[in-house]
Amino acid sequence: MMPPETCWMKNTKTDRSSILVLGIGNTGRADDGLGWKFLDELSTSPAEDLTVEYRYQLQIEDSELVSQYQTVFFVDASHTRIQDGFSIMPATPAAYYHFSSHAQNPETILYLAKTIYNKCPKAFTVAIAGQKWGLKQGLSKAASDNLRKALDGFHAIITSGA
Amino acid sequence: MSRKITIDPVTRVEGHGRVTIHLDDYGQVRDSFFHIVEFRGFERFVQGHPYWEAPVLVQRLCGICPVSHHLAAAKAIDQIVGVQPENLTPTASKLRRLLHYAQVFQSHALHFFYLASPDLLFGVDAPVEKRNVVAVAVENRELAIKGITMRKFGQEVIKAVAGKKIHGILATPGGVHNSLSTAERDYFLDGKEIENVDKMIEWSEEMVAFIAAYHETNRKLLDEFAWFPSGHLSMTNSEGGMELYHGTLRAIDMDGNITLHDVPTDDYEKYFSEAVAQWSYMKFPYLKHLGREKGWNRVGPIARMNVCTFIPTPLAEKARKEYFSFAGHKVVNSTMYSHWARLIEMLHCAEEMKILLHDADILKNDLETKGIQTNKGIGIIEAPRGTLTHHYEVDDKGRITKCNLIVSTTHNNDAMNHAVRWVADHVINRKGTITDNMLNQVEVAIRAYDPCLSCATQALGKMPLKAELYDAAGNLLDEKYKN
Repeated sequence: MMPPETCWMKNTKTDRSSILVLGIGNTGRADDGLGWKFLDELSTSPAEDLTVEYRYQLQIEDSELVSQYQTVFFVDASHTRIQDGFSIMPATPAAYYHFSSHAQNPETILYLAKTIYNKCPKAFTVAIAGQKWGLKQGLSKAASDNLRKALDGFHAIITSGA
Repeated sequence: MSRKITIDPVTRVEGHGRVTIHLDDYGQVRDSFFHIVEFRGFERFVQGHPYWEAPVLVQRLCGICPVSHHLAAAKAIDQIVGVQPENLTPTASKLRRLLHYAQVFQSHALHFFYLASPDLLFGVDAPVEKRNVVAVAVENRELAIKGITMRKFGQEVIKAVAGKKIHGILATPGGVHNSLSTAERDYFLDGKEIENVDKMIEWSEEMVAFIAAYHETNRKLLDEFAWFPSGHLSMTNSEGGMELYHGTLRAIDMDGNITLHDVPTDDYEKYFSEAVAQWSYMKFPYLKHLGREKGWNRVGPIARMNVCTFIPTPLAEKARKEYFSFAGHKVVNSTMYSHWARLIEMLHCAEEMKILLHDADILKNDLETKGIQTNKGIGIIEAPRGTLTHHYEVDDKGRITKCNLIVSTTHNNDAMNHAVRWVADHVINRKGTITDNMLNQVEVAIRAYDPCLSCATQALGKMPLKAELYDAAGNLLDEKYKN
């Protein structure tokens, strides 16, 4: 067995399609539904090598799921203002732990994938700025605009093969 | 100088809790409280909605145990459409049971592997950076993989039966809306794509052996930590055996004497009342005939193990006998035995899932039963955390006019307060300060009851950790944050 510090699989094909997009959020809380809306939009033109998964929160067992993919995107709404309305940043494994059984962060999930399954998928966080967080269905105008920009940014990365 | 110690909120439980410990002038514990400070009021939200929406609406109480609320509500709504549990079709009854066993299995796996195992593997006095599942994964990779795989198995069964892992839908008024295909069933039996149900049974047995050995080497701590006498409540089947989906209610006292003798779940109102306290939004259920002080009961794994006279699956029954043989008591009142009891229940659920997966009825299409509509429905199940009651009343147009939910964590309100008091008396008493270790022991005592405060108060919220220390005059002496 390889030591847990190293990953024996890096960007190799698996039996799964190669890209996983995890949308995190709650469509009942207005702009907190951005992560799911992002997946809804991707699903309108499904790609063969792209899998989408809806999540209220990231949970520990998601480490097993992400370990099966070459590339993983974690898409979530952001409470903080972002200059372009969205950001796509590389994510790396880190042993953070949040004091809850649910609501783990992407870095912890990647850390568990590396530690438990010896897998290191290439990973990104997609943060999309929202404005409204009340008990309401539907996105605000600003969030909808930011969602469109984030989708364009995502497709640009996918197309470039980065 | 008297002091008040506040732990706000408690971590690694579902929701947001707060503990205050009041010391007298001599540094001795005068009082302690486990406060529930959130409130959402789901019982009111549901009013006015048509009854058929209830099994879907109430799932939003919680992201951890939505299946339990779905099934308890469904049982109540069955009665409103004039269908008693025994009149469901075999397919509907068995699919609901399969869903329920999968829910208990995955919920117990979450609690044991993700929440409790750091306390057991590293000790209640471990440094804070070790008291989490990430540290478990680093130091015990095999245990982490099994924990994740077992939870995933339960969730996959839920997804197959109810359509989604979280907030799926199976039950309809008087039945279910779908059955399993042969391919869906075989997925859990053949072991080709995922570890199969036989592996779940094998691993559950391993976990029971692990916790039994752990008790052997840590007996004094586990016997004594947060020990207190109490009553115990759960459903049982007609022979007194463990029953998680439908049976009658039985309660016993600390010595095993029956205090509530196998009453129909429909009669719960005759026997139970709920007290309130100014310092908590969570109520305190108790048996009316025993009164507020003596009538409260523990619920959940430890109570179910105490109340039933046998478990109707062979491996879990063998494990139950070994549990009581080790404990040396007819009734176990030691808080930390709840982890052992929880793992025996996982084994029982795995065995039950295997039986149901091999039953051809789950593949059939006789899904619903019709009846004559009534205005009242009561559904009680044994959820992972204990006895869960849903009670609805509707008007002639089918709109809900009354909703009463008594969730498992509410039944355990008194028990958790007693557990906190034990830690306060035995760990914090006469100490001039409070340490991380002391804080963790308070949390360990509460966590053993796997409380779901979101369910108990139906609350929304974030979970930072804040500890505050006050003197008698209300001056802040010390504070700590975790986030």
